[in-house]
Amino acid sequence: MFGRKRKLDDFTAEIEAHLQLEIERLREQGLNEEDARASARRTFGNVTQARETFYESGRWVSWDHFWQDVRFGLRMLRKTPGFTVMAVVTLGLGIGANTAIFSVVNALLLNNLPYAHPERMGTIYMRTTGPQAADERRNVDGEQWELLRDDAPSLLCAVSSMGTSGVNLQAGSHVQYLRAGRVSAHYFDVLGLQPVLGRNFSEDEDRPHGPKTAVLSYGLWRTTFGADPNILGQAMLLKGEPYTIIGVLSRNATTPLNADLYTALQARRDGEGQGTNFEPIARLRDGVTWQQANAEMNRALARSLRVQNFAKNNPGAQRAYYFVPLQKSETDMLRPQVLSLMLAAGFILLIACANLAGLTLVRMLRRTGEIATRLALGASPWQVQRQLWIENLLLALLGGAVGIEVGFLALRGLLLLLPEHFLPVTTVPLDSRVLAFTLLLTLMTSILFGMLPAFTTRKVDLRSSIASRTVIGARTARLRQALIAGEVALTVVLLAAAGLLIRTLIHLETMPPGFNPSGVITAKASLDDVRYHDPAAFRKLLNESLASMREIPGVQNAALGLTLPYERALINGVYLKDGKESGQGVETNEVYVTSGYFDTLQIALVAGRAFTDGDGPDAQPVVVINRSFARRLSHGADPVGRYLNRDGKDVLIVGVVGDTVLSSAGELHAGSAPLTSEETIYVPAAQMDAQSLALVHSFFQPSWIVRSSGPVEGLTAQMQRALAKADPNLPFSGFYDMKDLMAATLVTQRIEVALLAAMASLALLLSAVGVFALVANMVVQKTREIGIRMALGSTVGQAMLQIGRSGVGASLLGVVLGLVLSAGALRVMRGVLYGISVYDVPTMATVVFTLVLVTLLATILPTLKIAKIDPANTLREE
Amino acid sequence: MSTQEAQERLELLQGTLDLLILRTLIFGPRHGQGVARAIQETSEEELLVEHGALYPALQRLEQRAWISAKWGVSSNNRKARFYSLTAAGRKQLVKETTKWKRLSKAIARILGSEAAEG
Repeated sequence: MFGRKRKLDDFTAEIEAHLQLEIERLREQGLNEEDARASARRTFGNVTQARETFYESGRWVSWDHFWQDVRFGLRMLRKTPGFTVMAVVTLGLGIGANTAIFSVVNALLLNNLPYAHPERMGTIYMRTTGPQAADERRNVDGEQWELLRDDAPSLLCAVSSMGTSGVNLQAGSHVQYLRAGRVSAHYFDVLGLQPVLGRNFSEDEDRPHGPKTAVLSYGLWRTTFGADPNILGQAMLLKGEPYTIIGVLSRNATTPLNADLYTALQARRDGEGQGTNFEPIARLRDGVTWQQANAEMNRALARSLRVQNFAKNNPGAQRAYYFVPLQKSETDMLRPQVLSLMLAAGFILLIACANLAGLTLVRMLRRTGEIATRLALGASPWQVQRQLWIENLLLALLGGAVGIEVGFLALRGLLLLLPEHFLPVTTVPLDSRVLAFTLLLTLMTSILFGMLPAFTTRKVDLRSSIASRTVIGARTARLRQALIAGEVALTVVLLAAAGLLIRTLIHLETMPPGFNPSGVITAKASLDDVRYHDPAAFRKLLNESLASMREIPGVQNAALGLTLPYERALINGVYLKDGKESGQGVETNEVYVTSGYFDTLQIALVAGRAFTDGDGPDAQPVVVINRSFARRLSHGADPVGRYLNRDGKDVLIVGVVGDTVLSSAGELHAGSAPLTSEETIYVPAAQMDAQSLALVHSFFQPSWIVRSSGPVEGLTAQMQRALAKADPNLPFSGFYDMKDLMAATLVTQRIEVALLAAMASLALLLSAVGVFALVANMVVQKTREIGIRMALGSTVGQAMLQIGRSGVGASLLGVVLGLVLSAGALRVMRGVLYGISVYDVPTMATVVFTLVLVTLLATILPTLKIAKIDPANTLREE
Repeated sequence: MSTQEAQERLELLQGTLDLLILRTLIFGPRHGQGVARAIQETSEEELLVEHGALYPALQRLEQRAWISAKWGVSSNNRKARFYSLTAAGRKQLVKETTKWKRLSKAIARILGSEAAEG
């Protein structure tokens, strides 16, 4: 539109040309120069008017006026740098917080996953009705996988292992610890990934006992194999066996597993295939709807033993399987957290707007004189309003620009806080959608904080405004107090939410661990290695490496366990052998340990005995159970000497140990806290058979545990050397102390606490600034009044009280409102609180105390100025 | 006041002047002064167009894309802005001409009958 615009100069030139042509014509008719010129002008009429008509006909005018207003607005903002900086920083923080959180929402919930047609990719959910109602993502067992693969023709199905596991890759003389994923044939086809080199796994390679093949990630191919273009068909030593490399994934290819390399799953019905250990993923074939696919899947799975057994044992309960798009299921766990953070960020923006509304209100009222003068000089109310709105918009835009910077930095910080692969997406970009959101937010804030002042200026009365100087009426002060009360109320909610999460984290972190965590260092290595499927070789490795570690000077004890406290354990099913519940199956955590495990970790022995070296492969199979399991088993009677049936063998309970804290990620019980004490049985590592060893080591990497009396120099290097004495080709993947393990389990809680605490602090800061500004402004406005009062005998203290009341009163009202609001709103947090209730008195008391303290500070600081007021001066000033 | 009067006069002339300008341009591009002269000469000096009033009209027609303009050189070697009829302008001319003819016929009928009665 603007491009078509004609310049006024061009128009003037045209008129000049017209006059010249007319003069020439008249001269041809015989007139002299002077007469011709006069006549031409006469016939043309008023040149100036023509130019004005032209000017006003264009959109030039409004454009010029707009620029005028913008320039004037910028001048006004420059004239009050304190206000401008305060407003821009406030808005910048508010908008920045929103930009950062929204970019996470955008990346997780709005952007598509990096696969072709992600809407046609699904994962399996199951809805159960009846007494054990549930609705959750499900994995499948070996039989169910075969049914899906063979009897659901409208789908291309694939399965993978649940997550990755540590493996050893020997390239040359160097052995590397890597994360490997096991995937079925067509897994990469479902994801729509084409390898850059070679091919995907064939169905033949995916059959049990099929050829050992591997597909490399692009990164591994580059780093370990030097991007060798002739890599295909070469063999590498993986898990102690030669694997043939058949493909390399492309640079940008990501999978839900995010592994360094992939091997064929070769799923079976026995072994791990007996449990639901396979994670299915499916792609809808062309021309099929999800409804058809759901029906087909339910028909196929209904034939599985697992579903039929469930129906037999749970009459009246209904189970229905259905597909959920991959996008939704991948982000399901994070969705509530992300959305509540977005809500918190929204609160912060509201608080920022309330502050700004108060500030602009005062600013507008200070300018009543200017506005009245403009109106008196003939400006229309619309012109005055436009000027004010343009100033608001300018402020908001400046705030938005700062907000994008703040958001960018906050996002970088946030991503640094997250552990690797915490989010199911590889990048969280500040893309055009985020920027559009920020712009929209900016416009919205300008309306939000500008509305109130704009309404008040509509009522400017010309005569009284020009005449009087005192402009802040009681009504305006009350309005500002209401704004402060509102923002304090929101701050209370945020502080309370953060407080409850902090208390939960403290509860979890200070749970009695059931062992002595200090002075312990642990190291993991992968035994997913064909050499250690042999129990004798496994025992030899353990004995030799632990003996060497015990010889390290300063080391008190050394032991090995499949998993450690704070970690999730293997879930196994055992049968109770005697008593009332004989024959009943019980799901329990199971850990294999060496005989020194309880000593090394200092887990208390409650009854019976711990394992000894006598509990060997040929001796009576034994177990040690923990207190929780003992309670479950015998209701107070002595469990020592009784038997369980584990993996088809009768095992003797020889001892009971105290409960230790462990991660609930194994989901033994639904809805338990991230750290719990649950039923656990311990079995001697020396009594593990070949089949079990192969199975558990494909899921877990055992930990070597070393306890030392004090700090030992170079302990980790000495531990690695001790392991190398037993097996030179076995690298430790890393060394951890117990704090690391606890932090890893509580990572989600820690991130939640960090983010919400940061937001609550920001809200508190903004509220404090709001109270401060209100009171400081009162002091300035009432200087004269205070002067008079003091001249009449009022003390400084009385004056401070008089002024400070406004801020404290508003803030207290806000606290009360906030407590009421929290009582209602925070109930949604019930699911993420452990060890405390929503109505936690200490938390609420701390919140109230903090706010009162901050309010008093924000009130007293500006009222200190009152002491400096000299009544004589203020009275003379007028 | 004066602007108000000018606006009224303009409105009175608006439709007619636009039509006359479009009609003049049917014979090919002309500059502003040429259009003014042509209207005057074709109407046998009956219509006296104030040249200044012509330009807002030209401006308006250009904005509506009924005519287009570009700088050129006149027959006596002077720079001038030449206006020419666009396709849309040609259509508009036909429409306006028809309308004008019906209007004038109707008015003529009324005025004629009035004359008969009086």
